[in-house]
Amino acid sequence: MSSMKQREPPKFLCKLEMEVDKISNLPGHIIDKILSHMSLRDAVRTSVLSSKWRYKWDTLPHLVFDNQSVLVSSQDQTLIKNKLVNIVDHVLLLHSGPIQKFKLSHRDVQGVSDIDRWILFLSRGALKEFVLEIWKGHRYKLPSSIYFCQNLIHLELFNCLLRPPATFDGFKNLKSIDLQHITMDQDAFEHLISSCPLLERLTLMNFDGFTNLNIHAPNLLFFDIGGVFENVSFQDTFQLAVVSIGLYTNTGFDRNHTFGSAGNLIKFFAHLPRIQRLEVQSYFLKYLTAGKVPGRLPTPCIELSFLSLRINFNDVEESLAALCLLRSSPNLQELEMLARPEEQSAMRISANIVEEDYENCPFNQLRFVKIAGISGLRQELNFIKFLLANSPVLEKMTVKPGSTDGGWELLKELMKELLRFRRASVQAQIIYLDP
Amino acid sequence: MAEADREIIKPEMMKSYIWLQTSDGSLQQVEQEVAVFCPWICHEIHSGMGSSKTYPISLPSRVSPAMLSLILDYCRFHQVPGRSNKERKSFDEKFIRMDTKRLCELTSAADSLQLKPLVDLTSRALARMIEGKTPEEIRDIFHLPDDLTEEEKLEPIKNTIDDPRIRLLNRLYARKRKELKERERLKNVEIEEERVDERSVEDLLSFINGGDAESKVVKTSKTKKKNRRRKEPQKNTPGNDTSTSNSTSLSSNAVHIDKQESNGLDSTCHDAAACDHLLSDPGNPSKLPYIEEGFSPDDEFDDIDPAMQEKIDKEVADFARRLNSDWPEILSLGQERRRIPTAINCNGSLKRYASSASLAP
Repeated sequence: MSSMKQREPPKFLCKLEMEVDKISNLPGHIIDKILSHMSLRDAVRTSVLSSKWRYKWDTLPHLVFDNQSVLVSSQDQTLIKNKLVNIVDHVLLLHSGPIQKFKLSHRDVQGVSDIDRWILFLSRGALKEFVLEIWKGHRYKLPSSIYFCQNLIHLELFNCLLRPPATFDGFKNLKSIDLQHITMDQDAFEHLISSCPLLERLTLMNFDGFTNLNIHAPNLLFFDIGGVFENVSFQDTFQLAVVSIGLYTNTGFDRNHTFGSAGNLIKFFAHLPRIQRLEVQSYFLKYLTAGKVPGRLPTPCIELSFLSLRINFNDVEESLAALCLLRSSPNLQELEMLARPEEQSAMRISANIVEEDYENCPFNQLRFVKIAGISGLRQELNFIKFLLANSPVLEKMTVKPGSTDGGWELLKELMKELLRFRRASVQAQIIYLDP
Repeated sequence: MAEADREIIKPEMMKSYIWLQTSDGSLQQVEQEVAVFCPWICHEIHSGMGSSKTYPISLPSRVSPAMLSLILDYCRFHQVPGRSNKERKSFDEKFIRMDTKRLCELTSAADSLQLKPLVDLTSRALARMIEGKTPEEIRDIFHLPDDLTEEEKLEPIKNTIDDPRIRLLNRLYARKRKELKERERLKNVEIEEERVDERSVEDLLSFINGGDAESKVVKTSKTKKKNRRRKEPQKNTPGNDTSTSNSTSLSSNAVHIDKQESNGLDSTCHDAAACDHLLSDPGNPSKLPYIEEGFSPDDEFDDIDPAMQEKIDKEVADFARRLNSDWPEILSLGQERRRIPTAINCNGSLKRYASSASLAP
C-alpha cells in the first residue's frame, strides 16, 4: 500500500504514468457485475481482450438473448434461426458456473425444438429466473423439464402452451409468475396457483383454456389480470394488496344470481381485507354489478388508498356499484374515474340515481381525483358534485372530457357546472383539461 | 425572525466521530452518521470498534486513503435523507467522472466496504466504457496486454459475425483447428512426427549406444512431438516450406525438450489445446542427452495464408509417409537437436535453452 502511495501518479495524465491494468484483477463477482450491465454480446467479446479476460465472461449468472444482445443481420429466416441456435448453444456450452437467469426473447425465435434442449440443460442447474417470449408462430408447448426447475423464483412466459405433467406439484420456490398469451387447462391453472405456496405476484394477460379464476394463494401480494373470464374468486388471499383486473368482454359472465346469494361485488371483496390499490378496468365493473349491489360492503376496505374505475356513467348499476365502493373506502386518497368511451353516447337510461343515493359520505383522505372521458352528462356531473361536496382535504381534481362528439354545448355546460359546485375543501383546484 | 435566528446560530451538534485506519497506518476521524452508510463500517462499530483513537477501525487493504476520501464524499452526500432522486442522480454522474484506474480502485474499495450502491454505480460506469468498443480501444483504455494467440482470439461465438472478412478468417481458423486436432489424434499413435533430422554423427552414435532406452525415447518423443508440432519457425512461414523430405528442410525447428523444461515452457504456452495435452503427459525425466530448446507457440498461428496451408498439408503428408517407413528409422529419429530456433517468443526462455545446448545432463 505504501509503495502505491509513493508511486501515486499526478492528477493529470503524463507519459511517465505507470500504465497498470487495474481492472483484470478485480474480484470475480465484480467482473460479473460489470459484464452484466452490458449486452451478452459485448460481454462475450471481452474474451478476446487478453489472456486474463478469456474466460471472465463465462461465469455470468444472467444470460439474456434478445434483439440487443444477439445481432444477426440477415433476412433469411432459416439463416437467422440457425445463427441464433448456434449462438445459444455455444454460450450454454462454454458457460461455467450457475446460470441464475435465462431470458430468451429474440423477435425471430419461433417455438423450435432447440428450446426444449436448452430448457432441459437449464433444468439441471439451479435456474432461478426464466423468461421465454416467443414472438412469432404458434403457442410454444413447454417441455416437461421446465416443471422440474424447483429453484425457480420468477417465471415469465409469452405465447406458450402449458401442460404440466400429472405428477407436477407446483414450484415450491416460485414467488412471481407472469403469463401472457398462454393456453392452459382449467385444472392445470388452479393447481399451479394453489401449489406454489410462496407465490406473491401473479400476472395474467390474454389467456385461454380456462375461464374460472379461482385464486388460492395465501401469500399473494400483487395480482394483475386482463382477459376473458367468467368468474373470479379469491380464497384466503388475505395479504393481497394490489389488484388490477380487466375484463375484456361485455358478455359471458353470469349476471343473474339466485336470490339471496351475495352478489359479485361482495364476493369479490370478501377475501381482500388488506387491499391497498385497486384498478377496475374494461368491463369488470359491470361484472361486479351482477347480483345484489349493496349500499356498502359488509367490511370496509380500510386500507384502500388508490382506486381506479373504468365506468359507464349511464349504467345505473355500475354507478351504484361505484358508490358502494366509494362508501366502503374511508381512507381513499386517490381516485380515478374513467368513462368507457364507446358507451358514452348511448341513449339515456331509464332510471336515474336519486339524490338519496348520494348520502353524505366523507372522504377524509381523498386528495386527488381524476375524471376522464366524460361528455358532460347529468350522471357524470352528479358524481363530480358528490365528490366535491364530500372531500374536505381535496387538493386537485382534473376533469378531462372525452371526444367532442357530444358537442361543445355540453362541454360548456360542464364547465359552468364545475364552477358552480360547492366544494368542501378550500384548497381544491379543479383543472379542466382539453379533450 | 425566529426562524432566521435558528438558521444563523446553529446549536453545537453533538456529533459522534469514528476513527478509521487505512492499511498504510494513517488515521482519520469521520462523522459517525457518514461512516455508517457503509455496511462494513457499521458492522465494525457494532462490534465495538472505532470509538477512540486507540481502537480505530482497520479498513480492508483495498481501501487506500484516496479511495476512502472519495467514498466518504459519496456517503456524506447520500446519507442525507432529504435529497431528491434527481439530485442524487446528478451527484452520481459527476462523482464518477474520473480516470479508469481510479474507477477500478474505487469499485474494489467500495466492494470491500460492502457499499452496494457505489459498487453498482462504478460497475455501470466501467460497463459503459467497455460496451460498444473494439478490443483495441478497450485494451487501450484499461492497459490490457494483448497476449492472446490468434487462435484464442477467434472463438467465433459473437465476434462480429457479420463481417465477411472475419467470417472468412473464422473459416480458415476453423480449418486450422481441425488440422491441429487431427495432428493431436495422429500423435496419439506412438509414432513420432519427425520434422527435422539434425543429428550429428556423434548424436547418432550416442543414441545407438543408449539403445536400451528406446521406450523412453518414444515416450519423451511424444512430448517433443507436441512441441515440435507447435513449432513453426517464422523463417519458414514465407515459403521456407517443409520440403518433401522433412528430415532436412526445417532448419530451425528441431526441438528436443527435456521434460522439465517442456513443463516450464508449458506455462508460457498460450495454446490451450496443445497445452492441456502437454501437461497431462506423465513426467518422464529424460536421462538421455537432449538439447533444450524453446518454441514459440505463436508461430503457428500467424497469418494464415495459402503458404501455411500448404505447409500443413505437407506436414500431414510427410507424417503419413513416415508412418509407412521403417520402424527403426522412426525410433531413431527425434534425438538430440542442435538447432537453435531463431524465433524467440517465449519470454527469453529460448535463449536459456539454447545456451544450455549440450549433451550429457
